This record gives sequence, structure tokens and C-alpha cells, in this order.
Amino acid sequence: MKRIRAIFENTFKESLRQRILVLLIVFTLLIIIVSVFLEPFALGEASKIMRDFGLAAASIFAILTTIIIGSALIHKDVEKRTLYTVLVKPVRRSEIVIGKFLGLGALVAILVLAMLLIHQIVLIVYEGRFDLHLLVAFPFTVLEVSVILGILLLFSSFSSVTLTSIMGAIFFVVGHAMPDLKLFADTTEVAALKHIAYGFYYILPNLENFNYRTDLAYGIPLQTDGILFSVSYGVIYTILLLYLTTIIFETREFK
Amino acid sequence: MIWEAPRITETTGYVQYQALYKPRNLCIFWDMPNAITLEKITRSFRNHFWQKNREVLKGISLNIQEGEVFGFLGPNGAGKTTTIKIITGLIRPDSGRATIFDLHPNSLAAKRRIGFLPESPYFYEHLTGYEFIKIHAMLSGPNEDKEAVMRLIEKVGLGDARDVQLRSYSRGMLQRIGIAQALVGSPDLLILDEPLTGLDPIGRKDIKDLILEEKNKGTTIFFSSHILPDAEAVCDRVGIIIEGQMREVGRLNDVLKKDIETDAISLEDWFVRHAKKHE
Repeated sequence: MKRIRAIFENTFKESLRQRILVLLIVFTLLIIIVSVFLEPFALGEASKIMRDFGLAAASIFAILTTIIIGSALIHKDVEKRTLYTVLVKPVRRSEIVIGKFLGLGALVAILVLAMLLIHQIVLIVYEGRFDLHLLVAFPFTVLEVSVILGILLLFSSFSSVTLTSIMGAIFFVVGHAMPDLKLFADTTEVAALKHIAYGFYYILPNLENFNYRTDLAYGIPLQTDGILFSVSYGVIYTILLLYLTTIIFETREFK
Repeated sequence: MIWEAPRITETTGYVQYQALYKPRNLCIFWDMPNAITLEKITRSFRNHFWQKNREVLKGISLNIQEGEVFGFLGPNGAGKTTTIKIITGLIRPDSGRATIFDLHPNSLAAKRRIGFLPESPYFYEHLTGYEFIKIHAMLSGPNEDKEAVMRLIEKVGLGDARDVQLRSYSRGMLQRIGIAQALVGSPDLLILDEPLTGLDPIGRKDIKDLILEEKNKGTTIFFSSHILPDAEAVCDRVGIIIEGQMREVGRLNDVLKKDIETDAISLEDWFVRHAKKHE
């Protein structure tokens, strides 16, 4: 546990001290604040648009931060040889993978929570009241980040930073297109395509399972079984990704 | 002859008596177990799948006994770093067997007994010296408290720079903090890849003094170097590797067969002469 904590602390500090993080934070805060000025274009829906905008901004911030920092998480250590002294200490490679996952995951989670709280402050200033219901989006954003971070760690355990970040972005886009893929699989007449589409649908991560933003912005109540499914799906998918990453990382040599 | 207090080994529990060196370069070992054993190690590399395999190590065998200071010498590209990476478990040999204290190099039990300084080390620049050593102490075991971390930093002369980020450290300071992380957990075996390269004379003396201090404690030290006087100053034995093969192993003066005319002799010159002799 102590070894995982050491890797966790190192990853957390390393990620926190990256200059790109400041840029992303400023950019997201601007988007949250700018949503206030959309009222003239909102056709009476300003309140809902503000909520949707704030949640979307926090989510995009989370994904961008995860992809930009996460894609280099292992690769940079190998490239710069900073990992060598760690690997020669009595530490399991699975502990390195878990420590890195938790380090960046925790940082992104804290920052997303901060963004959502700032969004609440903007709502107070604009509407004179909190909407704490919106904070329910937080755990689902964290679960989405976990899955994306798992994918990034998996690819970064054997490929380049560029390929890892591209794959992260592709999985993010494809992951949110899963309902369309399901629709295609349901409706296509070609049997082979149907099988392939269903295959991808069940194997690739369905990130729409974590998307409750519209429901929350419009005040639609969430179903308990839906929440339970989303949480189990996110946790199991992330564990599988980390397990695969560890298997690949265990066999890796450091030339 | 200097005797060290008996030590109980972590893995076997046997009480172990170590007869250490002294006088200088006269080293006697009685039935000491090997700290490092390499048996017919081979290793090849190729950069791309269409390229031919380049054989870097061609059947290296070597035994380093406990308590010994061994200088691993050779020109650039001879296979020193590849050998060290096999000993530390960073890469695997194509064939042959490598063990540390009779343990697999990648086992946690072996790693608990090793301290390692890589060649031209790059460390986490965002960390301060203190944070860097603390993280390595946390990785090494349960007995490294704040006081122990501070003592190590003081020991390598970086007490004043402990709260400075590593990105601001000079080459010599990085080498020192690298030695400090290698010393975390008081390892039985120190593996130092080119620890003196790129240092100014004061830095080299400080590092040599540190090696000597560890030597006096009975730590086994395996280090690679290009510089003969450095090796002569601290080593009980040296091994010369050229083009992936061990050419000579023994006491430095015996190995060089009195070729040394001055202390400033270039090891590269010796390698050139020696390589031609083996052609």
C-alpha cells in the first residue's frame, strides 16, 4: 500500500505541476462564466443552458486533462528513464500502474469537483440559488475519466505518446457514439455487419452510460437501476483495463 | 584485516561472517556467496524488424562476491549498460542465467537488497530533493522515516538544496541525489552505472569517498567507469568488457599487466591496444 501511495503522490504532484493544467483550468472557467452571457440567445431556456454548459465544460475539461497528461504518463517515464530507479526498487509493476492511475485520477476528480463548485457559485450570482442536484454529475464524470485513463494507460504501456493520445480521443468519440452503433446493429439487414456492429458495441466502452448531463440540467429524476448499472459498468471496465495494462507492462523490457 | 560484525542475511537467516579487504587492494574472501552471478549471458538487439540482430553480449560469465568492490570497465558500446540492465532486471538475457544473491533479479527479495544509479540519470524534475528521496524511501521499505531521509540528503552534501526542485540541480547535484536514492534502505549491493562521468574533480572525489565509505561498511559495489585512476582508487577487482565479451577479470594491476606508465593513462588507449591483441 505504501508503494502505491509513493507512486500516487509522485504522479499527483507531477501532474499538478504541469503548466498545461493552468491553461485548461482558465479555459474551462471562461466557458462556465461565458455561459451567463448566452441569455439573449437562449429563447427563455437560459437557466437550463447555463446548467448544461457548466456540466459539459467540466466534463470536457476532465477528458482533455486526462488525455493530455495521461497519454504521457508511462511513456514519458520510460523515454526519460525516470522510471528506472523506481523499477529497481522492490515494487511490483501492477503497483506502478495502479499508483499512476490513482494519482492522475484523483487530481482530475478534485479539479472537476472544483469546477462544479465554481459553477454553483456562478449560479448563485446569476439566479441567487444553489442547484446541488447538479453535483450528481461528479461521480459519473469520474467514472468516465477512469475508463478513458484506463485506455490511455493500456496504450501507453506499449505504444507512443502520439498514438496513445489519438486512441484516447478516438475512444472518447466512439464511446459516445455507442447508441448510434446499437441503432445501426439493430436495423442493418446485412448479417455480417450486424455481428460486427454488435461485437464492437459490447467490446468498446460505452461512455454514454455515464452521460446524465441532460437529465440533470432539465431536472429529470435518475433511475436507481440505471445508476447502479453505470457504476458497475465503469468500475468493472476500468479494472479490466488496468489488469490488461499490468499484463503488458509486466512483460515489457526497458532497453 | 578488518572484521565486520556478523550479519544475519534476510533471505536465508544464516549468520554470515565477512572478512573485508585491507590492506588496500589485498582482498581475501572465504567461501563467500556471490552477490552477482552471470552465466553465459547473451543478448541481441535490433532497432527495427527489418534490421539484423546486433549481438551486444556474447556469453558473459562473471561472479562478484559479497563485500567486494568491482569495477566494470570497457569502452563505449562494449555492453556495460546492457549487462547492468540484465543484473537489475530491466531487460532479460536471450540466454544464460543472472542472479543476485542467488535470487532472480526481478524478484522483490532481490530488489530489497539492491541500490541502483543509472547512467546519466534523469529524475523527476518537478520533485524537490527531499520529495524525491522520500518517494524512493517509501518504495524501499517501512523503515525510512523523515529523519533517515534527511540524513541521506545530508550525507551526499545536499542539505541546503533539499527543498529545491530537481530541475534546478546541476549535473553533479543530480549525481549526488542519484547516489542518495541508491543508498535508500541501506542496500547490500550497490550498482552504479558510470557514477563519476561528467563530474568536476571535487564532485568525483566526493562520490569516490562515498563509495569508499560504503565499501568500508561491507556493501558490495559493482560500478562501471571509463577512468582508470578512479577504478584503481576504489576497486578490489576489475573486469574488462570489449565488444560484448569479458576479456580480463582480476586485480587492476594484474589485468593491465603493468601497462600503466602514469596515473593519467587513457583506458581507451588500453582498450585499443588490447582489442587489437585479441583480433
